[in-house]
Formats: sequence, C-alpha cells, structure tokens
Amino acid sequence: MKKFFEIILIVIVPWIIIFWIVFTYNGDKDPGYFPDKKIEIKHPKIPVDHSKFAILQKKFKTPQDMTKACLSCHNGRGKEFMKTPHWLWLQKDTIPGRGVFNLGKRDLLNDFCIGINSNENLCSMCHAGYGYSNKNFDFHNPDNIDCVVCHDNTGTYHKSNPCLNPKNPKAGMPALGVNLNYVAQHVGLPRKSNCGACHFTGGGGNNVKHGDLEIGLLHCTRNFDVHMASVGKNAENMRCQDCHKTVNHNITGHLYTVASSAHNRATCVECHTDKPHRSKLLNEHFKTIACQTCHIPVYAKGFHTKIIWDWSTAARMGKNGKPIFDKELPGHTYTYYGKTYKNVDIQYDSRHGTAVFQKDVKPQYIWFNGTANHHLLHDKIKDTTHVLILNPLFGSYHDNIDPRDPRHPSKIWPVKVMQGKQPYDPVTMLLIQPKLASRVKGSGALWADFNWKASCTAGMKYIGLPFSGHYAFLRTETIWPLNHEVSPSSKALQCIDCHTDHNGRLENLTGFYIPGRNHSSLLDDSGLIFIILVLLGVSIHGILRIVSNKKNN
Amino acid sequence: MKRVLIYKRYERFWHWTQAAFILLLALTGFEVHGFYHLFGYQQAVLFHRNLAWAFIILIVFTQFWNITTGEWRQYIPSTKLLKAQIEYYITGIFRHAPHPTRKTVYNKFNPLQRLTYLGLRVLIIPVVVFSGLLYMYYVYFVSHGVVHDLGAIAYFHVAGAYLLLGFVIGHVYLTTTGHKPLSAIKAMLTGWEEMSDEDAEIALKENLKVALVESRKGISGKGTIEKEGMFETAFEDVVEKLGIDTVSTHLREKLIHSNVGYFRINKNGFYEDVNDVWLSLYKCKDKKKVIGSHVTLDRTPEGKKAIMKLVNRVLSGETISGEQVERLCKDGSIGYHTVSAAPYKDKEGNIAGLEGFIIDNTAQVEAEQALEKKIATGDKGEEFYKLMASSKDVGYFRIDKDGFYQDVNEVWLKLYKYDSREEIIGKHYSLSRTKEDFVALQKSVNRVLKGETIPFGITRRYCKDGSIGYHQITMTPVYDGNNIIGFEGFIVDKTDKKLAEEELMKEGLV
Repeated sequence: MKKFFEIILIVIVPWIIIFWIVFTYNGDKDPGYFPDKKIEIKHPKIPVDHSKFAILQKKFKTPQDMTKACLSCHNGRGKEFMKTPHWLWLQKDTIPGRGVFNLGKRDLLNDFCIGINSNENLCSMCHAGYGYSNKNFDFHNPDNIDCVVCHDNTGTYHKSNPCLNPKNPKAGMPALGVNLNYVAQHVGLPRKSNCGACHFTGGGGNNVKHGDLEIGLLHCTRNFDVHMASVGKNAENMRCQDCHKTVNHNITGHLYTVASSAHNRATCVECHTDKPHRSKLLNEHFKTIACQTCHIPVYAKGFHTKIIWDWSTAARMGKNGKPIFDKELPGHTYTYYGKTYKNVDIQYDSRHGTAVFQKDVKPQYIWFNGTANHHLLHDKIKDTTHVLILNPLFGSYHDNIDPRDPRHPSKIWPVKVMQGKQPYDPVTMLLIQPKLASRVKGSGALWADFNWKASCTAGMKYIGLPFSGHYAFLRTETIWPLNHEVSPSSKALQCIDCHTDHNGRLENLTGFYIPGRNHSSLLDDSGLIFIILVLLGVSIHGILRIVSNKKNN
Repeated sequence: MKRVLIYKRYERFWHWTQAAFILLLALTGFEVHGFYHLFGYQQAVLFHRNLAWAFIILIVFTQFWNITTGEWRQYIPSTKLLKAQIEYYITGIFRHAPHPTRKTVYNKFNPLQRLTYLGLRVLIIPVVVFSGLLYMYYVYFVSHGVVHDLGAIAYFHVAGAYLLLGFVIGHVYLTTTGHKPLSAIKAMLTGWEEMSDEDAEIALKENLKVALVESRKGISGKGTIEKEGMFETAFEDVVEKLGIDTVSTHLREKLIHSNVGYFRINKNGFYEDVNDVWLSLYKCKDKKKVIGSHVTLDRTPEGKKAIMKLVNRVLSGETISGEQVERLCKDGSIGYHTVSAAPYKDKEGNIAGLEGFIIDNTAQVEAEQALEKKIATGDKGEEFYKLMASSKDVGYFRIDKDGFYQDVNEVWLKLYKYDSREEIIGKHYSLSRTKEDFVALQKSVNRVLKGETIPFGITRRYCKDGSIGYHQITMTPVYDGNNIIGFEGFIVDKTDKKLAEEELMKEGLV
C-alpha cells in the first residue's frame, strides 16, 4: 500500500501536472497579434450636392460636353488622370533583368482576345474615355475622358456595347438612352459597380478573365468575400478603394498580366500587419506563403471562369455552312493535352473557337516574388514544342531562402492559370495580333470573314510587324495571381491541405521540404525495416526463450 | 527470491516521464511526418513542441541530478564482461545460464546497457534534440542564413526517431529477461527488484557497503543525527534510503548481532543505555546491572585510565572514532573493540554525556598479541599456532621463500573458497592474486623476506571461484636459525560491511 502511494506520488501526480501543462499550454501565442477588429475603414463623404450646380443642369449634347463641365470645376484633374493606365492603357514598368518598357494593353498580347490593336472599337468599351477607335486616338485631349464611368452613382450610366446591335455606338461611347445630365448631377466616389463594370466582365463576360472578380461580388456573403460582403451578418461591404487606396487618381494595385515590377501594390499587410494570427506558427508561415494562398482556397465561387481558350478551332462553319454562335457543347468533361477537366462548361463559337469554363476552381500555386517578365510584341518564340507563358512570374524557393537578397522575398501564391492556343507566325516566330472585331465583310476581321490568314495579315499590318503569310497555333499561358474572393478564416486552407503527401495543394511545387509532404523513401523504408527487424528479432528471441523454458522444465 | 532496492525515486519519476515523453513525441511526430491523422495536424505540431520543451527540461534536470549525485558514473562504458553479456543474450539465456552481471543500486547497468544508454545520451538524443530545435526555429535560422534546407534537418530528426523507437521496442523486450518477466518493470515502478537469493545477497552486500559509508558520515559526527541511538538511526536511514528488505533478508538481525554495540554514558561516566549487542559483547545478561554502573567498572586496571581519558576527550566536545579499547567481560575474559563516540547535548546545548558504538575485534587483537609475543620472545610460538589452528575468525598461512604455500588453516580455506588444503598446498601464492595485486603484494613479500614484519595491510584476494575479497593481512618472516626460510601471517576478512566500517574509521581519523 505504501509503495502504491509512493508510485502515485512520484509518477502519477507529477504526470497529471506535467501533461496538463503539455496539453493545455499554448506556447504559440504571438505577442504581436493584431486583431482584425483594430482595423478602421474610413468612408469620406463628398460635402457637395452636384444636382444644384447650374452647369450640370444645362443639356449636354455630347459626352465630351459633360466632361468639359466636370473639368471646369475639377481643373487639373484631367491632366492628372491622363497619366494613369486607365487612360493610357500603358505604363512604364521595369522588367527585372531586361529594362524599362511600356507595358499595357496597347503593347502586350494575351491569351483571351489576344490584343486590342485593330480591335479598339470593341475593346475600348472598357476604356475610361470616349472615341478610342484606333491607334490615332488623341491621348492628350482631356475632353475625351469618361469621368462618369467611374464616378456615376446612379447606376444608370453604362457604355455602349457594339456587339449587341450594329446601331450601337462604338469606341467607348455611352450607351444610347443614358441621361447624361442626371448622371452628372449624381456623381460621387466610385462604387463597386463602377469598377466592376469593366473589371468583372473583362474578356467578354462575367468573370471570364480574372476568376476572382465577378458580378456576384456586388451582393455576396462573407463566405464569398469577407471584404466586399454586403449580405448577412458582419458584412463589411468594403469598397474597392478601401484596399486600392487612391491618391490623385493613382490607384494602388496592379495585375501582373500587364505589370512587371513590385511597385504601387495593394497588399493585405497594409491593414492586417504581418501578424494577423493569434498563432505565432501561422504568422511564421507568412515568410514563405502569401496570405492569399490559405485564404483563397477556391475562386470563381459565383460564376464560372474561362480556363481554356482554343483559337485554333475558330473560323469553322456549321453544317449549314453558316457560322456557329455561342453554342454550349454537351458534356462536362474536357480533355486537353492529356489532362482531363471535370465539371466544366464547354462552348463553341465560330468567332472564338473552343472555350472551357469552370466554377469553384482550386488555384494553382507558384513561387512569386512580386515581379514578372512579359512576352513582348517583338519577342521571338524560341520553342514551339512547349507552352509559352506570356507573363512568367519571377520567384523560386531559393529566391525566398537567400538572405542576401531581401528584396525578392518569394512567397507561394495562388494563381489562375489561363491556357490559350493562339496564332503565331512559324516563319518570323512572332506571336500574331489578329484583327478580330468588325462587322464589315472584307475588312479582314475574323468575326466578319472567318479567314485566319486575312485576319493575321490585317492585324500584323496594323501594328507594323512582318507577317510571312503562314500561321500556326501555339499553346500559351497567362498567370493571374489571385487576390479577391477571400474566404473567412473558418473556410481557409487547413494545415493538412498542404502538409500531406496525398493530393496536397502544393503537390506540384517541388524542390523543397514541407513537413508531412516530403518523405525520403530511403529513410522511411529503412526506418520501417529497422523497426520490423527489431520487432522480428525480439519476437524470435522471445519464442526461443519460451521454447527453451519448456524444454528445461 | 528476494527483493533489493535498485532505483531511487527521482530515477523512477524520470524514467517513466521520459518514456511517456518519447512515446507521445513519436505519436505526434509521426503524425506531423504524415503517417496518420490523430490529433489533427496543428494540434500535433503544438503538442509536439510542448512535449519537446518538457523533454528538454527533463533532460536538463536529469543531467543535473546525474552530475550532483554522481550517478553519471553509471554510464561510464566498460568493456569488461561486455562480450559475456552479449553472449548471454545470444546463447546463455536459452541455457538458463546465470546473468553475467548483477544489478545493485550502485551499479544498475550491465556493460551492454552502459554502452547503449551512453549512445542514447551522447548521440541519438542530442541529434534528435538539436535537429528538433533547428526544425522548430527554422524560420529564424533561415533569416540568419544558418541553414538553407529544412529537408536535411528533418531527415536527421526522423532518423533519430526511428532509432529511438527501435530502442524502445528492444528495451521493453529486454525488461522481460529479469528474474521473472515482470520483475524489471515492477522494479522500475516500485524501486525494488526481485532477484534470486544469490543475486540478492551480493546486491545487498554491495548496497550496504556503500550505504554504511554514507551513513557513517553522520555517526562519526560529520552529520546531524541528534536522536537517541545513532547507529539505530543510521541503520534506519540506510534501510530507508537505499533499501535493504529487512523482512526477507534478516540482514538487520545479522548486522545487529554481528559486532556493533551501542552505548550512552552521562557526563559523570555512568551508563545510561546499552543495546543487546553491547550486552552480548560484554557477556552480560542483565541490562539493569549495567545501567547506572560506571564506565571504569568493566576495565582492567590499565584500561580504567585509558577509558577515562577517552571519555574526558569526548565530554570536552571532541568526537572520537575507531579508538582501540579493551573490555573486561562479566565472565572475566578480556575482549577488544574499537569505539567511536560523540558528545550529546541537552536542550540548552550543554554537553550532557556521550554516546557511540563499539565494534568487536577481539580475534584480530588476540592474533596480533599472540604474534607479537611470538616475535618478542623468539620462541616457537606455540600459543600463536594454537590460536591460529582453532580460530574461527582469523585465517592463517605459511609460504616458503619461493612463494609456495606450506600451510593454511580452515578459516583461510573458507575465505579463499577452497574445499581442502590439498588444493592449495604446494601452489604458488600468485594463484590467489590478480596480476596487478600480485605485483603489489610481491613488493611487501620481498620486504618481509628481508626480515621486516608488516602489520595490518589491506589486500585483495582472488578466490577459487573467481570472486574478489578483501582482508587485512599481517606478515612476518619465518626463521630457521638465522636464515629466513619463508613467511607467515594471518588475515582478517574485511570484504563486506566490515570493510565499509574500517574505511569509515580511517575516514573518521583523517
């Protein structure tokens, strides 16, 4: 009995204390923890009633008249705005290792509608200006600024879409029937719907391009987007500018499909700091992992986004010899270069070729240090057997761990990878800018003539680059870092989503060690064999002892 | 079957806590490694970290304990008997051969264990701990450019984990090879290990030897034993701390009845208390007759002066230790003992008397006296040889000048574990020594062969069965006329507790 109490005293009692501490003590509290509640969002109000101004009562004959009226008071704003990429569709940017270039829609090709050149009449329905119909547009005339596309607070202003009706105005003019005076009298700070008018529907429809920017964000819950949520409990209903802080029309944040350097970014840490978690362990992850990686577990939550655009099938006619428009193809599985995509929507259109859409997409993950390269118009294609990435993002694991290079702290980022297949010239090895958008037959436009050669000839002539007369199709990719549709913390990725060797999120990011993901099969196999041998050894030894005991007895 | 205390309290706490830590670290660690889902990844990581720190704290405490208690010596590797131990596990265990090594509280580990545990302590656990710390604080080390690859760190850590796990399996299995399958585990829980009688006897003697050395520091005045009955207290202390299973071994009785007598005397020199051993040494049956009598009553006329001198020394505040005293027993015979005593104080702190213990050494003193007489008178020494032949405590030997045994007595045979004289007579004395002991003894023998008498040397003997014993030896030359033809002498066994006591005496005198 005495011994029993002794055991309790020297083993059991200390154990209760020790293991109570071990299993309850949280050594993972970060003293620098910065809770979300501390973040303040200020919404300034404009102390002016524009409907009272006489100049805005006067009937505007043209949208340019309205702009003149705006600038008559907001003097200087026009010059200020005309320096921004929203107007220029260009900005000087540095490509690390290559130099300074004008990057933007005017100078780059993508794997959606390929490029704006020769297609400005259509594309400029997202230009913050009036009449950008060709390359001769006067970028120095402030009267052509479209102020209200961003500042309309009535929701009645929108730009004309020439696709819907041949009579619709082109080149970014207001739609028919818009009451400009009413709009001008009710201007204010941009709303989500203003930004979304272009940024949600770029590429030809809702969520086509970005995947994380869609019309659904205008009325969504926190599960859809914690910041922009306007429905349900604790909806912050934040505006775009709350993150994309704007001074003198210079809006922070840029996308690496048209930008290349890490300047002027809008980042999570500006509000959340780099210690947004109670857990030190989670905050330490920020050294290698962007916030977005865990907090955007899935994108295209409301509406599907385009993931493949195969131009090579365009210009084929239907059985009746007439072009096919917007045809939904049956089936929801699409196999493309050996990879099968499930739960997708497939469309065919003689104008565009084949397009594949997917909803609730899991991002892909890359190392990204905040800078990017671009395939410029003049760049020659070096290898047609591989996919050409039009905007390769710089970064690698080693970029991250090299302490001598703190300027390039690569982190793992979630991205949308858009796969394209677009025309190139196999002789000059240049990517081709085709002429696409026109209803005029004989203009060379693909969507009028359905003739690739004519389209390529017209497009290349327009940008002044040689075309050999031969064209072929090249697999391309653009990489779209994801920043929106941030899920609430309860829906964020969990440890096990990456720390696993079975279908982990970071399965394809190799060359570095992740606990739980990486195993040395040599070590694990020899370890297990060692354990088995020990077990086997003691079993045999034990059996022999039992046998010899019986014999001796 | 007997039980012997092997493991101390802290040791048992440490062992089971470390076992729990290692198992829980493996359980959480292999979840982090991705082998299964149990606690949930984040919980597994946090538990693993907490356990790791708890383990490190335990290691620090334990190393502190090991260093301060001297227990670290038990990890000093030894190749002696290593082969025997390995052979035992490979073949001997199946033939029911005896364990080649025995467990005592002062020598818990067999050579294989020493080697394995040392390997764990200096190699595997440090590798796992340091790789674990690098792993835990990898983010900071990376920032300072110390490490670049978590993979290498992790692989060291995991490799260490496999080795530890393999060790645990083998270790748990080997616990079943004790006296009974569960003996070792029970011992690790209660501290007491079940052993065969033979093993227990040896283990007990070893334990007691060291324990007495420790406890006597208290008796000899260096400690703080103030209660009545210093030896009793010391003995209880030994039993309590180091474990002698008194019920199963009767060792307490053996010891009590061996030769240690307790006494307390007031400041005027009158006995206040004595114990049964004291009474038996003084051959007195009635304790009442002793209490109240004066200390000089039991002395020869020469002895009265000497004893009062000692009593006065103690009463003046001194502690004496190992003083040789003679006693006059009730039956008129004379006995000899050593006495150790210290003053005891009343509540005010004044010396109220003295108390101490006596250890009988009559046989030895008688042998010495007989030998002295023989040497002094130069006679044939019949008295000495008679004493030697009949002695039950003193071993006698005679060796010729070339080193060959000529004669030994019964006690000598018993001490050297020979069955008959025929086995040893005519053999060289190097047979009864290990190599290094022989060299040491040879020097003394050479001195004796030149005519010197060497009293009371401590020497080590190599018994017939291979065991080692200790005895006090007195050697003197044997003359034929003026020629030295050999040497003779007597030995008094000091192997077990006696040696411990003698060592203490010496310590006390220093």
